[in-house]
Amino acid sequence: MDAPEWACLLDVLDLIKDKHDGTLAYRKSCRMMICGSCGMRMDGRAVLACKERMKPIVDAGHVPVISAMGNMPVLKDLVVDMSPFWGKIRSVKPWLDPGYDEVAEKERIVSQQQMNVIHKEALCIMCGCCVSECNSMEADPDFMGPAALAKGFRFVGDARDQADVERLNTLNEEHGIWDCTRCYFCNERCPKGVDPRDAIAKLGAESVKQGVDHDMGAKHAKWFIRSTETTGWLRETELVPKTQGIIEAIKQTGFALKLARKGKVPPPFPPHVAADVKEARALRELVGEQGRDGALGIVQGEHALGRIEFTEEAGARENAPEIQPGVEPPPAEG
Amino acid sequence: MQRVAYYTGCLAALSAKELNTSTKALAPKLGLELVELESVTCCGAGDIHEAEPDYYLHLNARILAYAEETGCETLMTICNVCTLNLRQANWQLKNDEELRARVNQNLETVGVPPYSGNVDVRHLLWLIAEGDGYERLKDAAHKGLKGLRIAPFYGCQILRPSKILGFEDPDRPWSLEAIIQACGGEPIDYPAKIKCCGFPIIQAREEVALSELIQPIEQAQEAGADAMVTPCPLCHLSLDAWQLKLRKATGKDFQMPILHLSQLIGVAAGLEESELKFKRHVVSVDPVTSKLEV
Repeated sequence: MDAPEWACLLDVLDLIKDKHDGTLAYRKSCRMMICGSCGMRMDGRAVLACKERMKPIVDAGHVPVISAMGNMPVLKDLVVDMSPFWGKIRSVKPWLDPGYDEVAEKERIVSQQQMNVIHKEALCIMCGCCVSECNSMEADPDFMGPAALAKGFRFVGDARDQADVERLNTLNEEHGIWDCTRCYFCNERCPKGVDPRDAIAKLGAESVKQGVDHDMGAKHAKWFIRSTETTGWLRETELVPKTQGIIEAIKQTGFALKLARKGKVPPPFPPHVAADVKEARALRELVGEQGRDGALGIVQGEHALGRIEFTEEAGARENAPEIQPGVEPPPAEG
Repeated sequence: MQRVAYYTGCLAALSAKELNTSTKALAPKLGLELVELESVTCCGAGDIHEAEPDYYLHLNARILAYAEETGCETLMTICNVCTLNLRQANWQLKNDEELRARVNQNLETVGVPPYSGNVDVRHLLWLIAEGDGYERLKDAAHKGLKGLRIAPFYGCQILRPSKILGFEDPDRPWSLEAIIQACGGEPIDYPAKIKCCGFPIIQAREEVALSELIQPIEQAQEAGADAMVTPCPLCHLSLDAWQLKLRKATGKDFQMPILHLSQLIGVAAGLEESELKFKRHVVSVDPVTSKLEV
């Protein structure tokens, strides 16, 4: 197949369909990474066909295998049935709930700083690449998954939305945020830099901040905090009852005894204590007063993380203007 | 000898003591002088990042600050989760002066030395998969593995997100295979070697976690592996201890020995049982040791 040097995977598919096999089925529309239609797998990795340049692959003498995205049923060739995907997106109520019905007389100004909180999640084009290799969804098809959860944070984090607690309660249910196994395939695959796993962590942080912490996942996380404050290191043996409750922990006794025989259940006494652990306790108290709790604790690190690509990989983007989250825009005219 | 600050993490000091003893015994043979850190705590294991992320950042900054105080340029980790947590915080602190200034002010308020950003966080795997470390490894592994078929299991957080980890192609990693070969073993390939072991949700969502865990174990067994090796003690606990639950849940007789990276190299380098501590494994390692006549 001859293709021009500038061809991307989508161009090559168009050529195949045009010249070789008119029955080849795939989705496409904008050709510029905006519409999110052309998600598919190249060598097992979910990609946007319009983003992948083919020249380096041809130059390397590699013949890539193109297939349909994972975790969604295949309808034909490269076209998957995205209805479960859309169902999950819909379940997070992806619209603003401002808490009022009447239109206010004056415009409500939202600062740049407030919008920066959801900047990354707002970049989502719902292509499904993050879902394709999601390990939790592979194990549990009902898992809401990275795209819907990132969309969930896009509204929980929106300063104009007034339904945070209601949303967080829904997102904390079975198949919600605490089902994420942190495999990070979503961050790896997202072609737009949304980093859905980070959005899920932001939802966890907001849940704990707002007291929506009844799930075993939240209890598990809180025990790590308690451990670092008291001994510095994880109080591993107490983690099971603290996460699952005493009754569930008792049911696990048989398993625990088998592990204990191999020394896999370290006795809680005497505890394994880090030196100067009071410093960790003091740090938690100190930062607790500084207003960077909840999702803001993750958002504050995004400025630095966003620079990785600029400085290390994409040479052409080295001179791109730097975005400074946290800088207030000038007040609106009038 | 390369002096490196040594971050054990939680499990190597608790349920995975065999990882700590084998790493310490192996290090000098690989040209590594381990400088132990007294005052450091848990990195938060992704859990504190998810519950109180600002506290997570400060806890990790504190670890980095004490590592820097040793004068070592490298903070060596032996756990995937510690590696991601520390590298992520390190990148943020190194590349955002304003953020670092605030964190340092807080550190100093509670009596911790400020962090200047001069530490690089690297997993043991990366220190020995290339360069000088790899050359030393080839010499150290003099007893070999007699062609034992070893399934490498990477786990997640040493590969992804690659922009923070960045050592190798997250879809086609090579480091464990290189080490297995250098030790005289035969690396076997299988698709789930880069997937999740289920450990982060094994307590809160056991059923989902077991559905993840079965893939690497089953695939490695079908590919004829004598044992699996992993660079992460959390993966190890999941693959080894929860294999019992997998047997019960599926009725299949899984008997896959799981080795820590330091144990695999340790066997090839002739470490003693008192250092390898195979007796601490839930799934017996006897099939491996008898083949090697250890």
